[in-house]
Amino acid sequence: MGMFAGYSSGLSFDELIDASGQPHPYAKVLVDAINDLGPAEFERRQALADLSFVQSGVTFTVYSDSRGTEKTFPFDLIPRLVPGSEWTTIEAGLAQRLTALNLFLHDVYHEQKVLKDGIIPREIVIAAAHFRPEFIGADPPGGVYVHIAGSDLIRSPDGSWQVLEDNLRTPSGVSYMLENRAVLTRIVPDIFRNQRVRPIHHYAAQLIANLRALAPDGRDNPNVVILTPGSFNSAYFEHAYLAQQLGVPLVEGRDLVVADNIVYMKTTHGLQRVDVIYRRIDDDFLDPLTFRPDSVLGCPGIVNAYRGGNVALANSIGTGVADDKVVYAYVPDLIRYYLDQEPIIGNVETFLPWRPADLEYIIDNIGNLVVKAANESGGYGMLIGPKSTLAEQADFADKVRANPRNYIAQPLIELSTAPTYVNGDVDSRHVDLRPFALYGRDGRTTIVPGGLTRVALTKGSYVVNSSQGGGSKDTWVVDTDTTSEVPNAIA
Amino acid sequence: MLSREADACYWIGRYVERAEATARMVDVHYHTALESNRTLFAWSSLLSVADAVDAFSERGFQMTDEPVLAYFCFDLDNSDSIIRSWTAARENARTIRDEIASEMWEALNVTYLELGRWNIQLLLRRSPSTFFSYVKESAHRFQGTLDRTLMDGEAKEWINLGRFVERGDQTTRLLDVKYHDLLPALQQAQNVGGSTQTQSSIPDPFGIGGPLDEHGWASILRSVSAFEMFRKTHRDGITPVNVVDFLVLNARFPASIRYCIAQSTQSLSRIKAAGATPRGHEADRIAGRLLADLTYTRANEIIASGLHEFLQQGQERINALGDAIAQEYLTY
Repeated sequence: MGMFAGYSSGLSFDELIDASGQPHPYAKVLVDAINDLGPAEFERRQALADLSFVQSGVTFTVYSDSRGTEKTFPFDLIPRLVPGSEWTTIEAGLAQRLTALNLFLHDVYHEQKVLKDGIIPREIVIAAAHFRPEFIGADPPGGVYVHIAGSDLIRSPDGSWQVLEDNLRTPSGVSYMLENRAVLTRIVPDIFRNQRVRPIHHYAAQLIANLRALAPDGRDNPNVVILTPGSFNSAYFEHAYLAQQLGVPLVEGRDLVVADNIVYMKTTHGLQRVDVIYRRIDDDFLDPLTFRPDSVLGCPGIVNAYRGGNVALANSIGTGVADDKVVYAYVPDLIRYYLDQEPIIGNVETFLPWRPADLEYIIDNIGNLVVKAANESGGYGMLIGPKSTLAEQADFADKVRANPRNYIAQPLIELSTAPTYVNGDVDSRHVDLRPFALYGRDGRTTIVPGGLTRVALTKGSYVVNSSQGGGSKDTWVVDTDTTSEVPNAIA
Repeated sequence: MLSREADACYWIGRYVERAEATARMVDVHYHTALESNRTLFAWSSLLSVADAVDAFSERGFQMTDEPVLAYFCFDLDNSDSIIRSWTAARENARTIRDEIASEMWEALNVTYLELGRWNIQLLLRRSPSTFFSYVKESAHRFQGTLDRTLMDGEAKEWINLGRFVERGDQTTRLLDVKYHDLLPALQQAQNVGGSTQTQSSIPDPFGIGGPLDEHGWASILRSVSAFEMFRKTHRDGITPVNVVDFLVLNARFPASIRYCIAQSTQSLSRIKAAGATPRGHEADRIAGRLLADLTYTRANEIIASGLHEFLQQGQERINALGDAIAQEYLTY
């Protein structure tokens, strides 16, 4: 087994190696190829990859770090594999989920049938931090709210997939998915041989096609822009990267101006009309006239221009109500309600302290549960019961009692692992998977095969967030059966 | 292109050029001083070129090699230090990564990371020229990558504009200060000759044409890598008129003021042509008029009416050009 000798994933399902220590059938070619490279050469390639990320400045910003705000996102050379047959299920499951969530959003901002029918309590929706009552009745192009989504998937010890959370506002990470693949093909071309790894580089082509389709009627060659909060934002690299890949301007709020309800950008040759904005700014900061008046990141008047149909926004306004952690618990019901189908991929079992019976259960079992604040992200504001002290548990129990709407609790899932190169050794680390889904104006979902695999680099840790010491891996959807069809990438 | 991005391109051009110009100037000064008298090649004259005498002495620094080199190369409080200039170029590039080629960004980023590994002790240990060569080569790598990877278009023109405005500015300041340093020798020579004409060449070891004086003028030329090209152009020797002719009025030397203004004018007209509705009339007027003056003036006329006044005026007109560009293209 060479570099994988003695490898163990403990209680977890492992993405490459089975319980007997042998590679899964779909991972055998890869494991052999890595062993062929050998430890010394592998070490050298890993150093090359690290250097490549530093030199090309593929970085993110850590807000709490006062010295040198840019960090590279640690990248592990050993890819994480998903067999093509499982990918088919994941793809169908995510498309189903995204379709239902878009129908939910349209309903919540129009007839609210789902509330009237009692599928989800009205209080839950009204109290969601990102619910935008100002936006009720507005009609986004094609009635679509979420165009770009990134739901996080995890795998249980039995190998089954679950959705851990949905990201329906401004999900990030896709640039790392694309860069990881680019770096891996350059640094270790050897390991791609003798198997079929599905390509992912058509993401940008699909995204720009979808964005152009959102342009107001009669705008034949629409001007699509990406709106960034600026170079100090933690995801700035991604914004610039996408602008480069899409070939569109990267604008900041101060580059825009609204006149007569039309959005323009300030160029060296005068004002130029903007038709579609892929915004990477939260609702709150988008337009000081509508939302936070102190925001200098957005542009005054943009929301009214959107309402007037003179510019399109992706994602639309108010989508955060659907990725609220409490609303999450109802998504399987929403799928049944809107699509009359059983969810293809389930949720993680979720307790809502908002329900008195669940609250009792949570307080009694807090040491075995993961408790999360409903509106925090990035791994902040959460308690991992089995890894916490009694004092921390008591503190969280008080918080939950004081504000039950603001929390959820889930059993601690033994996340799957993947072999990861750490300090010269191959060792198991927990991973999750964020596939990136695009939802077209016509309701068609496109998901490039794979996604961003995030890895918790600290042994035994379950926290994969980049801001908390997580790294990433390339994700391969592999077809071992040579007769199965591999879709060709769009040129 | 977006006005903000045009502005960033312009400043990338200026900062990369500034880092290179500073490296050249300090390099030449340091090495010339090794083999000449320290009063003529005092660090104070270099600090006045950089307009930094007060800032430097206010901080209580001694005018000796180590603090001065540290000030020009690594001082984070000196906004014109090499490290600050390069960092600013890289930071501007970071805000417009989508506009420039990835390789251009990498050229800036790799040097930025490398500069972070240097400090004054390392520079003195490895010899200053190693460091200055690295900075110059980095600037050339950036320029070379730009030539090879960036499409013709506004981004290129704005970077070019910044580059030549900065270079013209550096040459102007260098000449202004150094000319004054050498003036006493010049006046002495004039008194001996009993003439106000500067064309004459008098065989006086301490005056014009003498070894010491020639050493001084040669160092000005070397600071902008002009020495060899100057020799080819002015075979009758290093005289103040010839140096002024070469560094101010030469049409083909890349660091002469006229050349820099000519390049800026060309970039401006290409920027203008990129728009459907022409703008930039005032910028065109100022640049064109300045170029005409540089084209049709003679070196001895400049010296007769006062080089310092001429250069001061030139600076003011370049500043006015900058204001007009900002007004017409960059601000809303």
